[in-house]
Amino acid sequence: MVEKAMTIKTMPQEDQLGSGHGACGGCGLSTAVNNVLRILGPDTVVYAPASCLLVFSAAYPISAFKVPFIYSAFENTGAVISGISAGLRKQGKQTYVVGIAGDGGTFDIGLQALAGAAERNDDVLYVCVDNEAYMNTGTQRSGSTPFGAWTTTTPVGSKTQGKRSFKKDMMCVVAGQDVAYAATLSIAHPNDFVKKVEKAKAMRGFRFLHIMTPCTSGWKTDPAVTYDLARLAVETGMWALYEIENGETTVTYRPEEMLPVENYLKLQGRFRHMSKEDIDTLQRWLCKRWDQRYHTDMVSKEEPKGDKELAMCGEETEGL
Amino acid sequence: MYEIRFHGRGGQGAVMAAQTIAEAAVYEGLEAIAFPFFGAERRGAPIMAFARIDDKKISLRTQVYQPDMVVVMEESLIEIEPVADGLKPGGCAVVNSKLSPNQIDLGVKARCATVDATSIALEMLKAPIVNTAILGAMARADDFVSIKAVKEAIASRFGEHLGEEAGRINAQAAQMAYEKVSIGESLAQRPITKRKMWLPTWQEMPPGVALYHEKRGEIEVGPGSSWQTRTGTWRTKTPRYLRDKCVRCARCWFICPDAAIKREADDHIDINYDYCKGCGMCASICPAKAIEMTKGAKL
Ligand SMILES: Cc1ncc(C[n+]2csc(CCOP(=O)(O)OP(=O)(O)O)c2C)c(N)n1
Ligand code: SF4
Ligand code: SF4
Ligand code: SF4
Ligand SMILES: [Mg+2]
Repeated sequence: MVEKAMTIKTMPQEDQLGSGHGACGGCGLSTAVNNVLRILGPDTVVYAPASCLLVFSAAYPISAFKVPFIYSAFENTGAVISGISAGLRKQGKQTYVVGIAGDGGTFDIGLQALAGAAERNDDVLYVCVDNEAYMNTGTQRSGSTPFGAWTTTTPVGSKTQGKRSFKKDMMCVVAGQDVAYAATLSIAHPNDFVKKVEKAKAMRGFRFLHIMTPCTSGWKTDPAVTYDLARLAVETGMWALYEIENGETTVTYRPEEMLPVENYLKLQGRFRHMSKEDIDTLQRWLCKRWDQRYHTDMVSKEEPKGDKELAMCGEETEGL
Repeated sequence: MYEIRFHGRGGQGAVMAAQTIAEAAVYEGLEAIAFPFFGAERRGAPIMAFARIDDKKISLRTQVYQPDMVVVMEESLIEIEPVADGLKPGGCAVVNSKLSPNQIDLGVKARCATVDATSIALEMLKAPIVNTAILGAMARADDFVSIKAVKEAIASRFGEHLGEEAGRINAQAAQMAYEKVSIGESLAQRPITKRKMWLPTWQEMPPGVALYHEKRGEIEVGPGSSWQTRTGTWRTKTPRYLRDKCVRCARCWFICPDAAIKREADDHIDINYDYCKGCGMCASICPAKAIEMTKGAKL
């Protein structure tokens, strides 16, 4: 009999990122980190570089992490977690080591240390919590910021209208180094999320989890729509759910039909200025990606699932 | 030297208000500085900002511990913050409230000015952005700057960020608040409880600044110590759980960013209002409409 995959109903319930932290109400990043750590469990060491997470969770001497937590410089995630992991193995400990960095700390400034750890296939879990800009310092653009988005360094005015280049494909960069496991996650797809973290936890070698985490302050949105944004990102192609294992890509959720990107943009202040022309440019880029992703090389081995089934679980919800 | 401390919530514009009052003082030929409290708190959290005004150069860079004026941008903050802590004898408080000054319990008897800045902002700016109305009330509550200078500073600062028209309307909001202020004396019924802190000397710092979960001074420090911060005070909306409708799917528990939802043995849920920030994510993910958001900090 095949063992049933973990779901949100069967996952551990003990919080490792406790209440009382200082994140904005409706912060998608907090949801992501809390659930990754619930699954990793109490025998875990967390490293976080300079980022929202560091600042809202652990302002000395207070910490919201119930597990040991350490931080060093912004650009060092890959290097520090490799070091901690090596030290613990030397002591004969099997403690999980996880580095949780922002998109700035992953796509841009942390890329070199990340690439080193990935290339050595060090035995660590690297989680990128992607809110698509440098949020801790008040929203500067990163390699992850999508086309058209306002940030303080891609302003909106008569000469320029938000970011002019597209979001970097970070999964491609990481997967290009033959890592043990790489996957994309969304907080709007809980069971898919749990399954991937559980899978990464059981593996050895370099594992990369890339989580899209809507940010109410930097995206200029109502806190209540954080979940809807995470969901719409997938349905419009702004985010895709797949995993890469042994060089094989598997789509883990395929939306039934592509929704217009405008549905996603119009909920967010950072896109409010966007011209019809710019929206069309972004839509064309997305359509091309969509075709590549869902129709050609990334052929799904699993049956596509409806959103409903995916998010639900347990007998209680059957027939809903 | 005239020292001002603003109490607001992250995102309410307290820092902008501090900067604008400093700019107004500069127009009056005075020296002034303004700065925020550098903390980790985000949107919705109680925050502070400071301003100092003097007729000579200001070199003091500490937070304002003994203000001549405290400004409370939202009445509910009085319940959760010791806003009047350190207020100088003869100092005054400016509070955004519909109430009259003698109904405001600051914990000290002090000169108190109230103004319904929220209504003014809604009327003039069509949004509950109260900082400019508050500035008008400040000019009336004490004569450290003139309303003329305040309006000029607003027009300049807000105009620069939001356009000339916005600058003008914001200056009008200040004028309206200036005219509508009521001045009286506050009540001294509640105790002013100071925040507990651990302020070690360098000799007391542990090696590598590493902390175990332990008690230091009057507070818990180290892993898991954040529970001492009750983030439920940030709430302006409150989720109501409709137990009968719940299908026990655990999605709200998963999505809650503040770990404020606990699962009971049979997967019914329990919301911990000490920490719930009222974001509404649980209500939006619930497939059975078993959580509804209600206005206000309490059910
Ligand atoms: C070397 C270095 N440069 C700049 C900073 C300032 N800094 C701290 S956090 C941060 C932004 C982090 O952005 P990101 O990694 O995307 O995380 P987020 O805050 O968005 O979660 C910056 C620029 C720093 N701490 N160290
Ligand atoms: S700025 Fe964004 S990522 Fe940072 S705490 Fe707020 S919502 Fe979360
Ligand atoms: S509103 Fe719901 S999701 Fe948000 S903090 Fe409160 S319980 Fe958690
Ligand atoms: S999301 Fe709704 S139905 Fe599911 S457990 Fe929470 S309250 Fe119950
Ligand atoms: Mg970021």
